[in-house]
This record gives sequence, structure tokens and C-alpha cells, in this order.
Amino acid sequence: MAAAAAAAPTVFLLMVNGQIESAQFPQFDDLYCKYCFVYGHDWAPTTGLEEGISQITSKNRDAQQALVWNFPIDITFKSTNPSGWPQIVVSVYGPDLFGNDVVRGYGAVHVPFTPGSHRRTIPMFVPESTSKLQKITSWLMGRHPEFTDPKVVAQGEGREVTTVRSQGFVTISFNVVTKDMKKLGYDVSPSDMQNPSIVSLTDGIHNH
Amino acid sequence: MAEVHLIGQIVGASGFPRSSLFCKWGIHTGGAWKLLSGLREGQTQVDHPQLGDVAYWCHPIDVHFATKGLQGWPKLHVQVWHQDPFGRRELYGYGFCHAPSSPGWHALACVTWLPRGSWPERLSQLFVGGGPQLLNSDLIYTGADRYRLQTTAAGTVHLELGVLLRHFARYGVEC
Repeated sequence: MAAAAAAAPTVFLLMVNGQIESAQFPQFDDLYCKYCFVYGHDWAPTTGLEEGISQITSKNRDAQQALVWNFPIDITFKSTNPSGWPQIVVSVYGPDLFGNDVVRGYGAVHVPFTPGSHRRTIPMFVPESTSKLQKITSWLMGRHPEFTDPKVVAQGEGREVTTVRSQGFVTISFNVVTKDMKKLGYDVSPSDMQNPSIVSLTDGIHNH
Repeated sequence: MAEVHLIGQIVGASGFPRSSLFCKWGIHTGGAWKLLSGLREGQTQVDHPQLGDVAYWCHPIDVHFATKGLQGWPKLHVQVWHQDPFGRRELYGYGFCHAPSSPGWHALACVTWLPRGSWPERLSQLFVGGGPQLLNSDLIYTGADRYRLQTTAAGTVHLELGVLLRHFARYGVEC
């Protein structure tokens, strides 16, 4: 057996898999979603897909009114620094009255960093113009305000000048595995058992 | 030096009388803490919710601190403002909460309060809007001169914060 001690790792890995499960948009139907990951300068994806476009789904006739995508996510990142922890940005699109493809919501959430299974329900919002005339013209022309780059949703700068309208929710489930975070000195869970009574603001939203 | 990462979101606010809200937030730390990366203050977008009356902001927070001591643990303070259709802004609440001290993911509900004026001020606030505001916003997260204030309860700001600690075990600190 080799006598050399293992070199201390400088890089840790984050493996995320899961799915974009479903959405709730009471006012809209026939929607598809796109996802992409936004991360800081110290992060790089090693395997897996950074972006994807799902199928178009519509509501079932029953009372549940959920839009189900069941769209897989699978990606592994490596990094030297937890700053810039990856976020998944989800954008949902659908047809308007005249058949044009318009954006129905943007949302973002950080990938959870404690290993295990997690489920997040994120609110989706669209940018809104503040003048009524602009709203009428955009409804007629089929050109609603949208972000030029959906990655803006993952950043905090520049938001103070935007007005948005939140109109739906998307539920995503994640399974997270990390490697070498403990060896680098990072603590991601408390020394005692995890607190099971954490309730998120959006927890009452999903009805399944 | 030990390091602390706060990674999460200001999710939204509930319990306020009207729902076209935005939030100005900041993180205050003691003298032993140094900000390595990230923004320590900001302002969220204005949200008009279509479903229900919870305003959702989903404003990301990603800050990295290095510290030499436990005093001055980060405190997140928020000011909730309302924007009406004419673009005027009115204060709806002040609040603060400490960043959680154990690593992991935490859902925080930060309660807020609004300064209460005298009865002529409250009467004019009913018709015209506006209302008293703090001159020195340090009072949001310190207790020093609070005994002079009279306030009413306002709604709740919801945050989801993940806390990542580094090298705390090396210094013998248990979290």
C-alpha cells in the first residue's frame, strides 16, 4: 500500500439530480418550461446538462388543475468556494389569446446544500409595465415585457426598478450529494439531528 | 479565520394591508466580521400578486463573511415599503432577525412593526398616507433608544436562508 498520505482536496463536488415536477397557474394552460443554472465564477459544471426545454403540458379535466412536466434535472458541479452557489432558473412560457408564445413566469431558487432529498415550491413572476396604456398595447400586439436574459432573475442587482406580477408556482424536487465539503472544513448541517419542523412559506401551496 | 456563508432568498411578505410591496434589506455585522464577497444590502422588485395577497420577491442573498470572533453575528434588517399606482412610496414596516447560527437550511419569519404617530398624524395618514419614519435606521436592529418609540404591529417577511460554516470546529466552536 502506498505510504504517501492523500493530498488535501482543494475542490469539492456537488451532484444534483431531480425533476421539475409540476406547476400551478390557475389562469393559464398549455405551458412549457425552460431551466438553466446560474452560478458564480468559482463554479464549473463537470457533467450533465446545464439547460433544457420541457414538453408542453395542459391541465387535466379533474379538479386538481396541476400542470405536470416530470422533467429530469441531472448535473454535477465542482468548485473551490461556496460563494455563487448554483441557482436553478425556471422560465415558463405559454400561448396567449392570439397564439403568440409569451412568458408566464420566471423563478429561481438555490440548489439545496444539505445532502438528501428536498422539495421546493417557487413562486413565478413576470415583469409588468407600470403604465396602463403600455399594458393595453402589449396585450393587443402580443408582445409582453420579458427579461432579455432569464439569468437576471438569479441576481439581486438592478431589481429596484422592476415591477413584477406573481401568478403561479412551480414545484421542483432535488436529491443532493456533496463530496469533500467536510474535508475542506465546511459544516452543512448542525451537530444534532436536523430540525424536522421547518415549514416554508410556500408549503401549503402544493396539494399533492 | 472562520468563515460564514449566507445563501438564500428573501421569499416574500404576508399580512400587510395592501400587497404592492417591495423591501429594502441590509446585513449588519460587528467589528470582527469582514465581508469577502456578495452584496450586503439591496432592494427587491415591486410585486403585484395575482393569486392571494402574499407578495413574492425571491430576492437572492449570497454573502461570504470571514470572522475573528463570535460577537456581532450577522443581523438581517428589512424595511417593507408599499408602492401605489401613482408611484408614491410609503413605509409599511421595519423588522430584523439574526442569521441562524447553526448550519443548514432555515425558514425564517421576520416580524415587523410600524412607528405610530400621535392621533392627528394618524388621522391625516388615513386620508393622505405617509406617516412617521425613523431618522436613524440603526434603531431597527439595536435596542438602545427604543423606549422612546411607540409602534404598531405590521406583517411578516419570510426568508429562506442557508448557513454554511467553515473551520468553526477548528476553533472549538459548537454550532
